[in-house]
Amino acid sequence: MAILDVHNIEKHFGSTRVLEDISFSLEKGQSLAIIGSSGSGKTTLLRCLNFLEKPDQGSIAVNGNVIFDASDPATQRESEVRKKRLHFGMVFQSFNLFPQYTALKNVTLAKELLSQERPDFKQNKKAILDEIQAEGEALLAKMGLAERCNHYPSQLSGGQQQRVAIARALALHPDILCFDEPTSALDPELTGEVLKVIRSLAEQKTTMIIVTHEMAFARDVADEVIFMDGGVIVEKGPAREVIEHPREERTRQFLSRYADAN
Amino acid sequence: MIEFFTSDTFQTVLAALNSGFLKTLQIFFFTLVGALPLGLVISFGSMSRFTPLRWVTRTVVWAIRGTPLVLQIIALFYVPGIQKWFTWPSGESGRMTAVCVAFIINYACYFSEIYRGGIQGVPKGQQEAGQVLGMTKSQIFFHITLLQMIKRIVPPMSNEIITLVKDTSLARVIALQEVIWMGESFMKGNSGISGLVWPLFFTAVYYLVFSGIVTMLLGKLERKLAFFQ
Amino acid sequence: MNKKLLSLALAGALGLSLTACGGGTTSQPSTNPSTQPSDAQESAAQTESDLQYVKDKGTLVVGITYFEPMDYKAEGSDEWIGFDADMAKEFAESLGVSVEFQEITWDYKVEELNSKAIDCVWNGMTLTDEVLSAMGTSNPYCTNYQVLVYSSDKAADFEGLTSLEGLNVAVESGSAGEDAAVALGATTVPVQSQANTLMEVAAGTSDAAVIDVLMAAAMTGEGTSYADLSYSLNLNDAQGLESEEYGVGFRQGSDLVDAFNSFWADEVASGSALEIATTYGLQDAVILE
Repeated sequence: MAILDVHNIEKHFGSTRVLEDISFSLEKGQSLAIIGSSGSGKTTLLRCLNFLEKPDQGSIAVNGNVIFDASDPATQRESEVRKKRLHFGMVFQSFNLFPQYTALKNVTLAKELLSQERPDFKQNKKAILDEIQAEGEALLAKMGLAERCNHYPSQLSGGQQQRVAIARALALHPDILCFDEPTSALDPELTGEVLKVIRSLAEQKTTMIIVTHEMAFARDVADEVIFMDGGVIVEKGPAREVIEHPREERTRQFLSRYADAN
Repeated sequence: MIEFFTSDTFQTVLAALNSGFLKTLQIFFFTLVGALPLGLVISFGSMSRFTPLRWVTRTVVWAIRGTPLVLQIIALFYVPGIQKWFTWPSGESGRMTAVCVAFIINYACYFSEIYRGGIQGVPKGQQEAGQVLGMTKSQIFFHITLLQMIKRIVPPMSNEIITLVKDTSLARVIALQEVIWMGESFMKGNSGISGLVWPLFFTAVYYLVFSGIVTMLLGKLERKLAFFQ
Repeated sequence: MNKKLLSLALAGALGLSLTACGGGTTSQPSTNPSTQPSDAQESAAQTESDLQYVKDKGTLVVGITYFEPMDYKAEGSDEWIGFDADMAKEFAESLGVSVEFQEITWDYKVEELNSKAIDCVWNGMTLTDEVLSAMGTSNPYCTNYQVLVYSSDKAADFEGLTSLEGLNVAVESGSAGEDAAVALGATTVPVQSQANTLMEVAAGTSDAAVIDVLMAAAMTGEGTSYADLSYSLNLNDAQGLESEEYGVGFRQGSDLVDAFNSFWADEVASGSALEIATTYGLQDAVILE
């Protein structure tokens, strides 16, 4: 069974239709790359999955449970949306780290706040917080940032900041990890370290959706690729097939602009 | 020179100015304690998505910021009694209460605009990052937005607070005997001394020392918040 | 009429400031026993005993400004003394209440009374038409006239003047002296208190000042703070007016007026009014009828 089922998503900003009839599904352990030019709607789609935008139509199901249905207001209650968000992790283009916290605190903060809702929090406060702390340190170590735990974001390079952001998203163990152009805000020489981390996540069978402009990366790392244009899905299929042998003319045109770069 | 500072006259004036300055300090601290939180509440009102509330709040802020504080003090102290709504407690305490209420309302409106700028100045991405991590609105405000907002508002807030130090002198319009009133009292007569102008100008020393201390403390706070950007 | 307009304007301003916080922040006002509809504004005191209000409250709040020899403090003392202050203490005692002196801004004396911030104005107040129409006033207890105060070394310029035209004259804003100065054609410089007018003359920022003779006698000339100033010229004579009279002001229609008048008659009869007046050099001015 698919871990994610997106059905007929449609989204308008005022009178502009930015998403139209978007449907796709994703299997557990698979990674999906979404490509397309700026303004094609791919970032909006990712924001819809994370409840940062509310689709005007359509539904989203995780593990077979409908977590959003535009025609059913019961699925849109604020208190429930907060829990449902945790199915997804999100890594932003501009990192959005919390500047007043150290790298480690950025990773552990949300989990600490969530743990306060546990019934046994009061009794086991110290143990729980210690565990979260240890887990945060381990995650940062996995990102190659063991030495940077106590640095503030402003003391880190862009690549390091984005790796902290990835650790922060992973800390809540999301079912699906979303990346919104994770390397676009980075200097070219810093993209490698971030892509390397994402590649290793893919190797560990992390379920991911990656909006990216890195075609070679999408081809080598993603299992599936969706090409979007003008708010619709133009083509989808296995990564290597879509990128190397696109069936649609629009896909071909788009990819030819990246040919030089490859 | 030394004789002057040890003279009875100087001691008498100093004692009077001290008692006046104590009231100046009271106005200052009561206003801060009341206006800092009230300003936050008003700023939420002025950013509310509920249009009538936003509209009413912004109109009130406009009216308060657009009229002189001295007029607000006079109105707040005399009108309730004249209109038989209620009377302020008699004596110094009633005047002090009325002055503080007027100052708190006035300064809360100024603070609310600074807060609004501070809150809206925090990038939207910070809120979104909190949202996708499953935080509640209040968790996002207290754990993420608040400190960044404070860092942003400290410089403009410092200006307002220094202005407040000096604005306290407006309280003498309803005969609250703060330090300027006491300074002036030696011109017309106080404790058998009259025709002295220097006590009035000597009050400047109090203001300078106090605003110096306030400036230093606010500077310290600003440096304390310099650990992040 | 003017006063009603002022009240309305103030009420409007206040209304705005109150809506600021939904009215929730007008902290702990003391409860007002007389909650009359506001159209009864000025006559409210008639329907309810002001005397009883003061007795219930236990304090008579006397509105004053610093005015030697009526209300002032002796050097090194914090106690209000003077002819008016001493008599006010006696009056409060006769009512069985304590006395509280409250310095006020003279311009707002009527508002201070009407808002019940004070209970009477007892401060060498001349009974002008304006005062008579805005307050409930006692029988006169002291005579007074306005004099011109100037720097002693320029005395020659001021002897025998019948007009003040072309002079900058400092006056207490809203005082009888201001009326006199205006009537005699002076260019007035209104300041906050009578005492401040002397500062103006001493500093040379005004040519002369018009104040009550009682104050001029107490505060100018040798042995006073303003040794270089002197006074002459009865401005009431210059205008062809009677001498002025001092009275105590209460809220309009207040029964405290009658209480005061009978108190004063007793004090005169027992001789203590003259005795206290003599202490402050006012034996010629006090009215003993």
